Amino acid sequence: MVPSTLRADGLTAPDSGDFAALLRRRGHSPDRQAGAAFAGTSAHASFIETHATTILAFKYADGVLVAGDRRATAGNVLVYDRADKVLEIDQHSLMAIAGVPATAWEMARVLEHSFQFYRRSQLAEMSLEGKVRALSKLLRDNLGAVLQGIGVVVPIFATYDHAGATARLYFYDAMGAQFEAADSAATGSGSPAVRSILHYENTWGKKPLAKLKEPDAVVLALRALDTAAESDTATGGVDRRGRIYPIVKLITKTGVTTLAEKQLARMFKTQVA
Amino acid sequence: MIEEPYRWVEAIANRREYIEHQLASGSPITALTYRDGILLFTLGRERQKLFEIYDRIGLGGIGHPGDIERLRMAAIEVASTEGFTRSAHDVSLRRLANYSLSPALKAAFEQVYGPPYLARMLFAELGRNGAPNLFLRLDYDGSIHTNGGAFGRAHEEFGVIAGTAPATAQMELFLREKHAARRPLEDALAVAVDAWTIGHLALAGEPNDAPPPAEKIATHRDEQLALTSIEAAVLETASPIPMTWRMLPDREIRPLLEKRLS
Repeated sequence: MVPSTLRADGLTAPDSGDFAALLRRRGHSPDRQAGAAFAGTSAHASFIETHATTILAFKYADGVLVAGDRRATAGNVLVYDRADKVLEIDQHSLMAIAGVPATAWEMARVLEHSFQFYRRSQLAEMSLEGKVRALSKLLRDNLGAVLQGIGVVVPIFATYDHAGATARLYFYDAMGAQFEAADSAATGSGSPAVRSILHYENTWGKKPLAKLKEPDAVVLALRALDTAAESDTATGGVDRRGRIYPIVKLITKTGVTTLAEKQLARMFKTQVA
Repeated sequence: MIEEPYRWVEAIANRREYIEHQLASGSPITALTYRDGILLFTLGRERQKLFEIYDRIGLGGIGHPGDIERLRMAAIEVASTEGFTRSAHDVSLRRLANYSLSPALKAAFEQVYGPPYLARMLFAELGRNGAPNLFLRLDYDGSIHTNGGAFGRAHEEFGVIAGTAPATAQMELFLREKHAARRPLEDALAVAVDAWTIGHLALAGEPNDAPPPAEKIATHRDEQLALTSIEAAVLETASPIPMTWRMLPDREIRPLLEKRLS
């Protein structure tokens, strides 16, 4: 395999630093493969559940908290009860996904590799705006699959802005429009309940979300997810017998931390259950 | 004219001479195993010479900046594509050099109507789970030299490149004698800067010169350290994340090195 950059044409490709373009050049582009394989399936694809999950994120005192339930469903079938829908993209960024898992996980993988590829090839970290746009572009490239009804992904992206010394939170629609959230974002089938809770807490709670200390923020996230699971069958609550707890991750100025299961279990036992 | 075999051989020999001449002033680069991973080291005044290729692979290059850049990009592209389509564990320096870069370099070198690559590269790969580190020198004609460990050659915990073969040989001789793998960073820096100095002296000297005496090394080293900036990077075994590469800025390691040398 002789690398394309070493062919005799001399000039570096104009898309240098763009990992998605590299994949396309080499025929590994996920959207092209998916598009070819599933062309024309829209009429039969309506059975695939698209948003069945609950993802939430809000800014708290030290940064931003991102949490998600663990259930993956297809229609009324429970496929997997240990899904991790809050994915680390780099040391300071998280992408939380609602939507078709195959597409969403692939998207997260492309994004993760894109940031690394950019850093290595361009000898500089991609800017925050660049990272936010990169996800938006992936979503837009996926539009064909969305229209066919087989690849809807509605993510949340959270990262730490070192220049502004503050956490930043973005949510997207399935076509790639990006919105910066002032204080919270939620997506997935269980999100109406969660949005109501977060709005209520932020407006009339003891403290606005942005003032919450870490333990209070985590308890609120666990309670909100439990509430969503109460009315939404596609959202997994806490499985007390299987000891399966939601995924909760925090981004602070030192980077991403994942809360240990033990810690979640203790908090759940004392303050949620 | 070069359809005749003899002419072709002559053209290749001329080309080799031309490239060697172009590379002859290249500032030496050393990579060596130390207690916490691999140190890559050189002194320079202008452009960057040490680069991250992938999670556990680093590169030092001398030659024309345009050619180094293309080869660096090619290496990153091959490694990144492999890491994405398979996994980061499938990215290996041996495969990258043997199957992708070396054939491309050889082809460019031997097609005498096209431009060759004016580049000499030193790759270092941090071994996974206690496997030995790999140091690999890749030349403009696609030839590969590694730190051994197979075919009866003893495994060495370092790799070097320099502008000329005698400079390379003297650096290797020095490191074979003075380098110990399990030492802390400041010791590795001290050995690396002396190896660099020996290589740098040899670039200006005659091919068959004896290794310089210790005082001469010390004087030249201190002169050069005052004139240039240190470029160093490490691949760290204990990194909590898959990426192990970290640049060591001059201001961070110069005090460390000066303290060790005084």
